[in-house]
Amino acid sequence: MTEMQGEVFDLGYQHYNGPREGRSRARKAIWKNGVRIILGMGKNFKAKILPVLLFIAVIIPALVLSFVASASGGFGGDQLGPAGYYQIVSIIILLFSAIMAPELLCPDRRDGVITLYLVRPLTATDYIAGRWLAFFSITLILVYSGQVVLFVGYTLAAAEPWTYLKDNWLDIPRFLAAGFILSLFTTTLPMAVSAFTNRRAIAAAIVIGLFIILTFVPASLSEDQCETTIVTVEDSDGNVRSGTRSENCGPLIGDAAKWVALLDISQVPSHVNRMIFNQEPTELANKLVEELPAIVPIAWYILLVVGPGFVLWWRYQRIRL
Amino acid sequence: MLSYFSTLIATCILSPMTVLLEAKRLTKHYGTTIALESVDFEVHEGITGLLGPNGAGKSTAIKLFLGLIEPTYGTATVMGLEPYSSVEARARLGYMPEHDCLPSGITASELLTHLAEVSGLPPSYSRTRAADILRHVGLHEERYRPIGEYSTGMKQRVKLAQALVHDPVLVLLDEATSGLDPGGREEMLDLIRRTGREFGISILLSSHLMGDVERTCDQIIVFESGRLSESGMVSRFTEETETILIEVDDKRAELVAILEQAGFQPLTEGSSILLELAGVDKYDAIRDALVESGARLRRLSPRRHQLTDIFRSVPA
Repeated sequence: MTEMQGEVFDLGYQHYNGPREGRSRARKAIWKNGVRIILGMGKNFKAKILPVLLFIAVIIPALVLSFVASASGGFGGDQLGPAGYYQIVSIIILLFSAIMAPELLCPDRRDGVITLYLVRPLTATDYIAGRWLAFFSITLILVYSGQVVLFVGYTLAAAEPWTYLKDNWLDIPRFLAAGFILSLFTTTLPMAVSAFTNRRAIAAAIVIGLFIILTFVPASLSEDQCETTIVTVEDSDGNVRSGTRSENCGPLIGDAAKWVALLDISQVPSHVNRMIFNQEPTELANKLVEELPAIVPIAWYILLVVGPGFVLWWRYQRIRL
Repeated sequence: MLSYFSTLIATCILSPMTVLLEAKRLTKHYGTTIALESVDFEVHEGITGLLGPNGAGKSTAIKLFLGLIEPTYGTATVMGLEPYSSVEARARLGYMPEHDCLPSGITASELLTHLAEVSGLPPSYSRTRAADILRHVGLHEERYRPIGEYSTGMKQRVKLAQALVHDPVLVLLDEATSGLDPGGREEMLDLIRRTGREFGISILLSSHLMGDVERTCDQIIVFESGRLSESGMVSRFTEETETILIEVDDKRAELVAILEQAGFQPLTEGSSILLELAGVDKYDAIRDALVESGARLRRLSPRRHQLTDIFRSVPA
């Protein structure tokens, strides 16, 4: 029997002769790395907790709504539909964006890794577009997965699933469009804020603070549903006089209240989404905005997406290494 | 895109003395501050030192060749391409920055694989290249440890490795030995020499440490206050002079006196005696003076120029 023998040779440094895919590969790599950062891939267990919790938080409302529909014999008019579902999850998505957007941008600048990217066949625009697209992709998948669960749940809970599908198939393009609009808004603004600080906690606090302030301040200023009651008063001469008394009025009323209600940025995607789903507003702020010309909330939404998007791009054009 | 890369690679199959970097009247102003003023030079294959004190314009020149900043005037080209307008030119350049640039939470293997992809290599090739390069820089055993746990010397090696992972034609090293202790510095210089000589990758080594450049480089380019003060082969600046250097263990004063009697004009510099010679016939007189003084000779040799002389000759 022949004895097998082997010998290890050190071939020394070998030049690379394989394919080089240039800028397109570089862009894909930035996108892929962004997705890995968001999902906590290649990191310890702690990094994975937030994305997992988020996924659960987005899916659970859809499962609960489906279960309620199933228990009550199908989807009814008083139950939340796809538009209502977005209303619930938009707050969760906003919170997630505020935490994850700084994670994508701040460490690269703080650790100086951005230098290693920008000396490769990649522009600052490629870098920031890749990072943004990674964030947008994950957000989109999250909002769509909840809607898919909800739609499938309602379909299966219906007494006649095929009829439900025929009657409600338009919900599919609607929730696709509305999810796109929601994701676009919730990813761009937090990323623009994150471009201006190297500290993740500060960026997250600014985003959350911005949403809180711009939700409660307009609401308190534009409280326009005064409770007016007729009151009777007896004066010192014993004469009874009647008049009206208004309660719960904010400092702003009328047109001013409508414009100030627009400042509630947590509701910005909802204004557009209501148009997509052709739904009547239920909340006061939404009712006020509804009274403005339709182009106003649309233009406001576009401004709040394009504006931060431009700021984000501009900031990275001016990065000094 | 692929055909463009084929052309680029074709231009990178280099002939001897291929010009890798070329600066023509290269000027960079930051407001009223002049970082570089009308500089002309070329960088060829081999190891080139970019020498100058802090603030001389070395880092500015590197950033101009990387396309990170735009020249105020003039051109900086990389293998014929302008990196500011063509990012593809950077595909065959490597860069090791002076400052910290490594994330602490991921492993060296993961970082290099990712950066190889960002340099345009497909994922499967990137993994192989990352492992190979980490072996070449001596970090093969440590490649799965988070970078945050590395020593300063190991981090410098990772910085060099990331600059080499895509097999560049030329690597730009900015103060590569910065922050290292003497032992670590020697190891890093040895690695740089191996990269240049064994790996066949040309290097532009920017440093303010003349010893590093003198021991490592074939050519040097010297900057002084944003201007080019000298350039050429290192050997030209370290060639023998007409000065004889004598070092003795004892009786130095006696030897100096005898040399003066013999008609020399000896100068003392530290523990050495320097003699300006007009011809080789004076060696016999030096030998006789040494015998007469009874001094124990430690060293007798022609003195070589040193790179420090360049800065002595540049007016302040």
